[in-house]
Amino acid sequence: MIGNKIRHDTTWNHRDDRYGCKRTRNRGGDSVHGCKVVVIRVNLQSPNTSRLRSRTLNPNQNMAKFSIATVFIASISLLLALTRSFSVENPTDRRILVLLDDLALKSSHSIFFTSLQARGFELDFKLSDDPKIALQRYGQHLYDGLVLFSPTTERFGGSLDVAAILDFVDSGKDLIVAADASASDLIRNIAAECGVDFDEDPSAVVIDHGSYAVSGTEGDHTLIAADDFIQSDVLLGSTKIEAPVLFKGIGHSVNPANSLVLKVLSASPSAYSANPKSKLSSPPSLSGSSISLVSVVQARNNARVVFSGSLDLFSNKFFKSPVQKAGSSNKYAKSGNEQFVTELSKWVFHERGHLKAVNVRHHRVGETDEPAIYRINDDLQYSVEIYEWSGSSWEPYVANDVQVQFYMMSPYVLKTMSTNKKGLYHASFKVPDVYGVFQFKVEYQRLGYTSLSLAKQIPVRPFRHNEYERFIPTAFPYYGASFSTMAGFLIFSFIYLYSK
Amino acid sequence: MEIQRTKSLMQRGKIGNCTVYCVKTHRRRLRLPFRLVSSPSIKFEMMWKLGFAFLLVAAASICEAAAIFSPISEAHRSAALELFSPAAGMFTSLEEASESLRTFEVLGIEIGTDLKDSTCKSVVDALSSGSPNSKDLYYALRVSSVLKCKISEGDLTGGVALRLKDFVKDAKSLLDFYYSIGGLVLIKDQASEVDVLLEDADGIFRSVKDLSQSDGKWRYNSNNPESSTYAAGIALETLSGIITLKSSEIDGNLIHALKKDVVKLFDNVDKYDDGAYYFDDQFVDASGHQGPVSATSSVVRGLTTLASTSGSLNIPGDKILGLARFFLGIGVPGTGKDLYYQIDALACLDQNRVLVPLILSLPASVLSITSQDKLKVKVTTVLGSTGPPLSVKLMQVFSSGSKDASIINKELKFDHKEAVHVLDALPAGVDVGEYVFAFEIALSDLEHKKIYATGGRTKVPVYVTGVVKVENDKVEVLESDSVETQQKLDLPGKNDVALAANHLQKLRFSFQLTTPLQNPFKPHQALLKLRHESGVEHSFVVGNSGKLFETTLDFLGLVENFFYLSGKYDIELTVGDAAMENSFLQPLGHIELDLPDAPEKSARPPAQPINPYLRYGPKPEIAHVFRSQEKRPPQELSYAFLGLVFVPFLAFLIGLLRLGVNMKNFPTSTIPAAFAILFHGGIAAVLGLYGLFWLKLDLFTTLKTLGVMGIFLMFVGHRALSHLASASEKVKSA
Repeated sequence: MIGNKIRHDTTWNHRDDRYGCKRTRNRGGDSVHGCKVVVIRVNLQSPNTSRLRSRTLNPNQNMAKFSIATVFIASISLLLALTRSFSVENPTDRRILVLLDDLALKSSHSIFFTSLQARGFELDFKLSDDPKIALQRYGQHLYDGLVLFSPTTERFGGSLDVAAILDFVDSGKDLIVAADASASDLIRNIAAECGVDFDEDPSAVVIDHGSYAVSGTEGDHTLIAADDFIQSDVLLGSTKIEAPVLFKGIGHSVNPANSLVLKVLSASPSAYSANPKSKLSSPPSLSGSSISLVSVVQARNNARVVFSGSLDLFSNKFFKSPVQKAGSSNKYAKSGNEQFVTELSKWVFHERGHLKAVNVRHHRVGETDEPAIYRINDDLQYSVEIYEWSGSSWEPYVANDVQVQFYMMSPYVLKTMSTNKKGLYHASFKVPDVYGVFQFKVEYQRLGYTSLSLAKQIPVRPFRHNEYERFIPTAFPYYGASFSTMAGFLIFSFIYLYSK
Repeated sequence: MEIQRTKSLMQRGKIGNCTVYCVKTHRRRLRLPFRLVSSPSIKFEMMWKLGFAFLLVAAASICEAAAIFSPISEAHRSAALELFSPAAGMFTSLEEASESLRTFEVLGIEIGTDLKDSTCKSVVDALSSGSPNSKDLYYALRVSSVLKCKISEGDLTGGVALRLKDFVKDAKSLLDFYYSIGGLVLIKDQASEVDVLLEDADGIFRSVKDLSQSDGKWRYNSNNPESSTYAAGIALETLSGIITLKSSEIDGNLIHALKKDVVKLFDNVDKYDDGAYYFDDQFVDASGHQGPVSATSSVVRGLTTLASTSGSLNIPGDKILGLARFFLGIGVPGTGKDLYYQIDALACLDQNRVLVPLILSLPASVLSITSQDKLKVKVTTVLGSTGPPLSVKLMQVFSSGSKDASIINKELKFDHKEAVHVLDALPAGVDVGEYVFAFEIALSDLEHKKIYATGGRTKVPVYVTGVVKVENDKVEVLESDSVETQQKLDLPGKNDVALAANHLQKLRFSFQLTTPLQNPFKPHQALLKLRHESGVEHSFVVGNSGKLFETTLDFLGLVENFFYLSGKYDIELTVGDAAMENSFLQPLGHIELDLPDAPEKSARPPAQPINPYLRYGPKPEIAHVFRSQEKRPPQELSYAFLGLVFVPFLAFLIGLLRLGVNMKNFPTSTIPAAFAILFHGGIAAVLGLYGLFWLKLDLFTTLKTLGVMGIFLMFVGHRALSHLASASEKVKSA
């Protein structure tokens, strides 16, 4: 049912499982999340339900009808249940598994968890070595998101391992990973698979003698006041984060070859990653603003991942503590952590920056129907509606940089579309004087937004024989010559035959 | 909490090389309870780890542990207000209400009258409802003891006290005893005239005492062999309640045995390296909320209540102080339950008859030598109230660099205004750097030693910072050890040196750092960075030989590292240290390097990250270039030629007239004439068809018509022409 709906609805939410991280993997699988699931659930559950019902009521001839009805009811209720979870039409995550290496984190990071719960997420807390951990059952994912607040865990309980987590991301689910100074190889491996490399030295932490947080009691400059944020409203919200973010933990670098990783919070140029207790004998492997403190990955299937080198970044203590950056006289009563983390979690759980494109239309100027073929030099109009998910509803997406391409092997026309600010984007242009099979393409990739990739094929034909210009003035002498010859011939034949 | 705690330990600067050991020990020991509970299958591994942990503890005991514990602060108040303020204006349960109100009471937070009235109403409801549960009565009485609710005497005397006494008689489990006896004690405090005394105090005491275990822990009931520390705390509170409510003397041996149990309980106490003690509870009850915080809190509560009823307990001062440190060390808990346990335990410790812990805290442990900050020490109780008259002595100063400590023994001056002890000047020899200061508290009144726990020496990490002077800073280009060019630098300040070198030359860079006390200073971070135009960066540690910091870059050896990239390199120097107030990051200028060309198989420079803002921007627009129209002559020219084209035709007509053409040969008889007309008409029609073909007809219509016309034309043409031929034959023959 959902499958059909999606196929009819021209929705190009590109959430299939093309892997975005460093590895190149090929996986088959359902291209639109949610369709397969319904089928399976109905098959699994409806026979049970019908058997149960038919045993209690026992009318023989009505049984067939009745079981159809129960299947229908069951599938409807399942659909209702499923609409609560992640779907194409409702892309915000719902069920989140939180893995902790110590249940005390529940209390020390309670503000973060409470804010998630207040936003409607169902959090399931488990110890990371709990043997009952499972991300999927009967091929169906139990969670839409995973929060790994277990930096020290060497091995997860249950069947969970690096491959299972990457599989989870492969299927378009979201992930938050927080490490700290004692990050285990397991956490480092997960990060490395996504193009985020934590400093290999296990004793190294990020030190910054230039922009540390001024504190009466912490003098080793490992508590960093970072304020080099990525300039992106979609990632960090439209309200500017005024106060610096407190950070205490390890740094990482992002793979320059990986275009899907973004540094969200970078260290200042004076930062370096080293063991503060031992003398620095060789240059630190990470230094300056190439150190990333918090990074995000948006895979090609629009799965989103956040990596933080500090678990304390999410803690109540840092949320509440006042902050003053060294060398600056601005004192903030509260650090920027809460705003930063809240905004970032909105992004990672698809409450923001998730686009969909619907109603792709194109036609000749002055007409309304979509032709099956265009002729060269036709004037055409292309339009598409783009909406952004706001966490609860689809809002019109407003931007001035959506471009359409008229594409055959390479773009022949690339034009920025104009918008009516209500989600409708349109552009009109002349079909090039080259015939062949073209495509209308919208490849929309913007920082932090899910990528839109629309393609619609359309053939272009040359002029027909009778569509060329007929009476060209330049040719009039030739016409004149022909006709005068013809008239001459008529007269000559008469004269030749009958003149004496 | 424990994680946070471990981190706080790590934050608070372990001194010396033992740090790693200390931290690791914590980790293993801390995580133990949860691991054992959550996965019994890995017990063996755990046991191994436990043994290992003890080895590490042994190793760690030589570590220097230093940490600062601060008394309850404003953060706790705001956290309490946030966590406990009821959302709907009403507490959900009396248990929650009692915990919230207790926390508010300790922290000195007033609650609104609306909330007070509504809570009191539910207290009265609970007391008068005849609840079959002693727990409800107990919490109702606890709430009313805090709020001083007006409860009609009849309720108390007539109902509740008697019912509670019945509950005591029927009690089987520890919690039954706890709630009913606790309730009676609360009634006794609130309404002294009500008779709450227990007739068979001795027997009840014995039955509670029967649940105790040999290791000082308690069982919840006689059927359950699992013992718990949390239960021990509850039992101690219950027993002291029985002592309060006794109507006749309780056997002295029993109380003596109880006190022994308490001492035994303290044999199980766990310890952190910073001197914090805590009890761990491996037994988790159904509510699932049992951890070190609740267990320790329960023991502290039981202990202090017992001490208030039955006199002093023989517990060492460092353990009491350690318990206080544990609760202060966990910071501000994020859940209401934990916050209640913390605040409740601290309130019990704040005024108790065992020993009152005194906490030595430093308002600031980062001192600037340049701005001559004074070391201030505050000695307070755990809730932050001022302690008894006392003096604080600075005994030792450990330097982070060396193991040995200088012994000082200097008394701090007491500032009455701010109630802090101030060290006038830092001890001689204390320069910028990290130190551990060891303080001792000496009570002025010797009698107070029995009341207060000062805990001997308190070690506190102190960072002394200052402005470091940079001297003799210069940069040189050398060629075979002779100075080619030399430039003085101004550090920290603006510099813009312009140097040039080739691969046979060297770059030498040197500077000297001196502390405010004229000692040489070695910063943790002294990095020289060369950045090529293409973004490739190279860092070098500036090493020190004695006083002088120097680095020599021999370009011949570095060409490969530099990927044979010639061109302009920006030089940047970073000097920073935790103790250096003027840590700086300075661009120094640039150097033009002339390096040889890269051999074929040399490594290529690494890829530079792409600016994400550019990567995601819109692409430049593309417009299709259409084929241009063929060039055509002006229309006038075409028309002129059209006219010209008709000139030969006109000339032909005129020529014909001149020649005097005539129609004499036209057949005169009717039939041949008709064929001739048809023939020529047919030719004209075919030509007309061509005209039509040009104008509008397509090829197929034209050919079809032409076919029909051709047959017709052939027929009439044959007749017309054969007539003409026969006519000319006649003429010839004639």
